[in-house]
Amino acid sequence: MTTARLLRPRAPAPWPGLVAILAVIVCAAPAMAVLALALAGPPLATDATSLSLIANSLAGTAALIVLGGGGATLLGAGAALLVTLHDFPGRRVFEWLLALPLAAPVYVLAYGYSALTWAGGPIPINLTGVAGAALVYAVGFYPYVYLAARASFATQSVCALEAARTLGARPFATLTRVALPLARPGIVAGAALAAMEIAADYGAAQHFGVATITTGVFRAWFSHGTPTVALQLAAIVLTGAVFFLVLERRARGRRGYAGGSTRWRPIPLYRLDALAGLAAAAACAMLIGLGALAPLAWLTRLMLMRPIADFAELGGPALNSLALALVGGAITLFIGALVAAGARGGGAGGRLALYAASAGYAAPGAVIALGALTLFGFARDAGLVGGLGTSLALGLLIWTYVARFAAPASQPMEAGLARITRNIAGAARSLGAGPARRMFAVDLPLAAPSVLAGALIVFVEILKELPATLLLRPFDFDTLAVRAYAYASDERLAQSAAPALIVTAAGLAPILLLARRIAAARAGAS
Amino acid sequence: MSAHDITLSNVSRFYDGVAAVHEVTLHAPPGKVLALLGASGSGKSTLLRLIAGLEPLDGGEIRFGEQLIANARGAAPPEYRRVGVVFQDYALFPHLTAAANVMFGLDKLAREDREREARAWLARVGLERRAGAYPHELSGGEQQRVALARALAAKPLAVLLDEPFSGLDPVLRAELREMTLGVLRETRATALFVTHDADEALYVADNLAIMKGGRVLQAADPRTLYDAPTSADAAAALGPVNILGGMISGARVATPFGAISTDLQEGAPALAVVRADAITLSPGQRARVTDRHPQGATDLLRVEADGVIWRVIASARTAPQIGAQVDVAIDPRGAYVFLR
Repeated sequence: MTTARLLRPRAPAPWPGLVAILAVIVCAAPAMAVLALALAGPPLATDATSLSLIANSLAGTAALIVLGGGGATLLGAGAALLVTLHDFPGRRVFEWLLALPLAAPVYVLAYGYSALTWAGGPIPINLTGVAGAALVYAVGFYPYVYLAARASFATQSVCALEAARTLGARPFATLTRVALPLARPGIVAGAALAAMEIAADYGAAQHFGVATITTGVFRAWFSHGTPTVALQLAAIVLTGAVFFLVLERRARGRRGYAGGSTRWRPIPLYRLDALAGLAAAAACAMLIGLGALAPLAWLTRLMLMRPIADFAELGGPALNSLALALVGGAITLFIGALVAAGARGGGAGGRLALYAASAGYAAPGAVIALGALTLFGFARDAGLVGGLGTSLALGLLIWTYVARFAAPASQPMEAGLARITRNIAGAARSLGAGPARRMFAVDLPLAAPSVLAGALIVFVEILKELPATLLLRPFDFDTLAVRAYAYASDERLAQSAAPALIVTAAGLAPILLLARRIAAARAGAS
Repeated sequence: MSAHDITLSNVSRFYDGVAAVHEVTLHAPPGKVLALLGASGSGKSTLLRLIAGLEPLDGGEIRFGEQLIANARGAAPPEYRRVGVVFQDYALFPHLTAAANVMFGLDKLAREDREREARAWLARVGLERRAGAYPHELSGGEQQRVALARALAAKPLAVLLDEPFSGLDPVLRAELREMTLGVLRETRATALFVTHDADEALYVADNLAIMKGGRVLQAADPRTLYDAPTSADAAAALGPVNILGGMISGARVATPFGAISTDLQEGAPALAVVRADAITLSPGQRARVTDRHPQGATDLLRVEADGVIWRVIASARTAPQIGAQVDVAIDPRGAYVFLR
């Protein structure tokens, strides 16, 4: 081989920059459009209707974050302290069962609670308004805090707790002086995540009749016909969501919060006596019951009481959901893979791609949908596209999914790519493997499990998605989530049970995956 | 010159403006082991990565035989270099069995040849029974042997070993060192062996290069390096030494333990460097033994005179007790003077 053919010139790879541009356009553009228009658009609406809508929305969201988010934080942190520091009957099962409420979208829990209470249920209380929504958020979102706080313990507290014991600290002192301060970053990260979800939620708030910023966006857009106000509300909720996301990232640092990346080390457990142990087990069981079992069981009962013929009417929405989740999921996965690969390459381009994907993830679905609609409006005014027909609407909807879920798709892939160390890649090259062979013989097989995990997460997230789908779906194009929402809005909870439960059943899959990782991390104890 | 000759001329590599490797010139002759000895951060692993093609050069050139392989403008991709690498963390493919790892570099062969070769190589490193095991099922020593077999099976022009025994216990280390040297001798591949362990470097090397701060301090055969270091750092790299500053006066540098002769410039500030094994103690008055640590066949002593403490390696059976008064004799073959 001649020198001229053998030597390859030195040149930096251009693709991290291209990935960054793509990620900004796909993931961040809709949210950025909302922000830009809210800032550059007409001054704040000053008419009484708009002002009261904005004021009520802010007050509602603030109340829900304080009550619902505060409740979720107390429950989640309490559960984490219980299972990581104490030994009691069933602890190992509760450890992963406590994540169960994440399987059900909160709007499904909301329907379940309504069915359990005022809508003909066995508990005769009028659970509506802020109290209802806050309760559902608290029991539905506590797992965020639980998982993050638990991971905080698992990764760093072992020695500190042992040191506290050898220094003579009593259990309560160990708790307040060592355990809680150590878990604080995890608790803050989980609480921020819960607050972000509460601010973005549409289904449960709407169901309980609470005016929030997200429901305000819908009302301003659809009922009041004031897109300016909708954009301004969207900008407010977007800013809040980004604030909570930054808070979460700061608190979490570079650690994963699901407990998968680090090995579980046995923490010196305080063995509870029989009575206290039973009380602890009962508390965990109650939490799981409130967050998942009771409302879902009651919804299941409602569903089973209905004639089976009604299942037929779910065929169309189920197919629509499946198609959206498959197509949207595939595209999201592709963009997520590019972002993960770009982030692995490091450099400014990779970081920018990651930020863009994170911005899309932080933005509530309603905001991104609004941004996509606005950008579409520009394109239509410029004569680039025609009217909002079915295919274009579906295109916008899929774009929204991609923008929203590229980050959760890329996260497990980043972890998977981290398995391909610099030396593994170097070994493959020095053994003569060219780019194609490295891709198929090394990179893909090593990354496959995490790609599958990312695919599963995105598939289920799209299946559960409600606000963006409501805003953007073509006329008469229902998904399971939309159908569940529509029936519940008509106070036909029994009919909404079936689509709601199908969505929840799909949501179980990633939770079981998470549970397996929790169990596997523990099995690695030494 | 055969393609197995590796020549580095003025090779440099910078990270953010800091030189990891600075104008290194080295020659690795075929069929010999060239050991690179240095502390962590001395640039020895970077040098291996440059030769393997896993890092680009910022200056100088690398040739395999007459063939230019890399310079600051361009480089042959690693997959065309035929260089085997045994990484410090072994870097076995976690999703492939031991046999499949070894077969990875043999994809040009027909399937049955590939399998036969892999089996033969695993047998050569004593792992024929573990062919079907995955890396996580292998012990550290077994993983190291698979990595060696994988690197050599592809019949590379050269094999680069980056601290290949660093994670292993001393007994296993010695065993694997023997096996590795045996296999390297059989294959006649050019070998570069990176280590931070002076004893290991002296043991494995046909030629030895001492690195510090990205530069090669001195390169020679191990005996020459040990007996004729060209700097205090080079002397200190291969074993315990005593260093004392002084002035050259009357063609010698005075120390509390005796004078060291030199033909360097009269009146210049200098360092006297004396190997701890070049000192003989006998009963006397000049110095006092303050400390004694058994090391097996030898003891490491600390000896004090005029407030200066030197280390002395002495035979464990004849070494004086703590507190003993001794006279000191310095063997001139292990005592050097360098200009400061």
